[in-house]
Amino acid sequence: MDCLLEGNCVKAFGKAVHALSRIGDELWLDPMVRGVSSTKQRWKGNSLALRSVNSAHSAYACFLFSPLFFQHYSLGPVSEQGSETIKCKLLMKSVLPLFRCLTSIERNVERCQISISTPSDRVIIQFFCRHGITKTHNLSFQESEALQAVFASHLCPNVLKAPARLLGDMVMHFPVSQEEITLSMTPLSVSLRNYYEGGNDHMKTMYTEMSLHLDEFDYFQVGVDSDITFCLKELRGLLSFAETHCLPVSVHFGAAGRPVCFSVEDMVLEATVVLATLIDSESTGPSQQTETLAPTTPRCAEAAVLPVGSCEANSRKHQGVPAVMELIPSSQGSPIISPPALMLLVPQTDNPNGLGEPDEACASATTTPASSTICSLLFRALSSEQDSDGCAARLPVLAYYSDGEENMEEDYTRSPSL
Amino acid sequence: MPLSTQSQADDEQYVLVASLDNARCLSNILKAITFKDHAIFSATPNGLKVTVEDSKCLQANAFIQAEIFQEFTIREDLVGFQVNLTVLLDCLNIFGGSTVPGVSTALRMCYRGYGYPLTLFLEEGGVVTVCKINTQEPEEPIDFEFCSTNVTNKVILLSESLKEAFSELDMTSEVLQITMSPSQPYFRLSTFGNSGNAHYDYPKDSDMMELFRCTKTQTNRYKMSLLKPSTKALALSCKVSVRTDSRGFLSLQYLVRNDDGQICFVEFYCCPDEEVE
Repeated sequence: MDCLLEGNCVKAFGKAVHALSRIGDELWLDPMVRGVSSTKQRWKGNSLALRSVNSAHSAYACFLFSPLFFQHYSLGPVSEQGSETIKCKLLMKSVLPLFRCLTSIERNVERCQISISTPSDRVIIQFFCRHGITKTHNLSFQESEALQAVFASHLCPNVLKAPARLLGDMVMHFPVSQEEITLSMTPLSVSLRNYYEGGNDHMKTMYTEMSLHLDEFDYFQVGVDSDITFCLKELRGLLSFAETHCLPVSVHFGAAGRPVCFSVEDMVLEATVVLATLIDSESTGPSQQTETLAPTTPRCAEAAVLPVGSCEANSRKHQGVPAVMELIPSSQGSPIISPPALMLLVPQTDNPNGLGEPDEACASATTTPASSTICSLLFRALSSEQDSDGCAARLPVLAYYSDGEENMEEDYTRSPSL
Repeated sequence: MPLSTQSQADDEQYVLVASLDNARCLSNILKAITFKDHAIFSATPNGLKVTVEDSKCLQANAFIQAEIFQEFTIREDLVGFQVNLTVLLDCLNIFGGSTVPGVSTALRMCYRGYGYPLTLFLEEGGVVTVCKINTQEPEEPIDFEFCSTNVTNKVILLSESLKEAFSELDMTSEVLQITMSPSQPYFRLSTFGNSGNAHYDYPKDSDMMELFRCTKTQTNRYKMSLLKPSTKALALSCKVSVRTDSRGFLSLQYLVRNDDGQICFVEFYCCPDEEVE
């Protein structure tokens, strides 16, 4: 893979890296033969995806760059295996410093060339700067499966499209340390308020809540009244990107517990952030929230630990997993997501058989008290030769990627869960 | 100004008297070489030279010519002593280092000779402070035997082009490799860190390259920990000359313009870490 970016695009690319660094510690660089954007825009020609996911698998972001973004883009020589393109994973701390100072990039960098060199296992990022100066960085990468979240935003009952600065201006009122916020939507208004954990702190916390009339938005669709609570920190990068590029932000969501998707797009790129939402966030006042949520607002557990069958009903399918939840604090303090919506990607370890009975698992999941079950986002690797047990294909994926869209009806009133 | 009311008689006991209306002319330059606590001061009728060394591999010298001082009186051919540089800088900034224009700290530095402390008279806004700093026997500065006849490669670059590179240098790299060559890549800085390696190339015809005189391709590595302190001098300077000799020893000379537009020099000498062909 070999691509060339000119001046302004280098800065946009750098801003994308900044936004992705808010999500996770690793950056997936994924050249794609035929880029398919999730908003049904199909770009002709090759594209480049940059992705990141947090360690708890409760936040995912993807920046997809169309071929028009680049001055030049080629996938390079095809490998012996066929038309496979190399997919690499880089450490964020290797890449972020190269794009740290965006003003200096704007001032000095004329062009940037990014290429993947398979023989030396290096990603080469070369900056051609003013005065003839060239900066070349050879970063080692790890070859990796592609990372992709499965989420069909078009199936969401609620949609908001906010002008570029609106959301940024709203979240500005929350302190930088604010972890989670709650977005509420009714047919009359949209409000944002800070979310806090119950317990003793509520006397010392400052509440902030702001409401907007739906007219403030470019577009809205209220399928169901809902309150969703998600991690703000992970979103700020995208909001900053949207503001810089004057792009409206689209928000797709459903009931509490379903993931929320924030996206921006323009002619040459598309950026998406999918965040898990807390289950059982009440639409009543904060004091009531304290009572109901105090016992059930544990932080998201480490993804790798949780197979689907953590639900009580399924504990028999997953021996070795305690029926009662063991809560392990996530380093990101991310909220928990409800099981019916999402399933976990686990490099399937203990119980392939358990996962082979997905329908039953999911059906029971919907009936267990949601507050006692914890799961996290499914990140399903693009199907590859490693899918040896075939189970992944049989999992009832509740949200299809846009490739499957032809099979789905665009019916916003329909519940997203099967 | 109170400092000037000192009688002539007092002055005769000092072998060195140096005065500055703005102590920052001295303190800024000294900050550029404060990577170790102790500094060797050598004063000659030409001016003041301050030397700091590190592990016998690195030497930094700051030169402040006699003309920079409002008064520079020396009664011997060479006056040398060693002081704690950190303490000296603290004294020079004793009034807090205000950046209000028109307000500056005036300095009168006096030394009576061997065995006596270094006396600093500092004044700002009518307030006078007297500091006496103990001196030690000056160590002999290392002679790196770097002479211009032995120089194989020399470039002079405008500092602004190097400042960014130095601030971005991958600090997980143990060495900074400098390649100088009459052919591509002409002048290259390289690092080898945990994430991978990086190269900064400056072509010979770049408008940042004021002088390019390379006779032979040389690649040398220097310990990053030794060269990183030179970033401070680079930040103050407008131009830097980079020279290597046949042994691979490195000389960095920085041209620093002080607040009044006068020129001072800071130079660094560094031994190569290992020979690389």
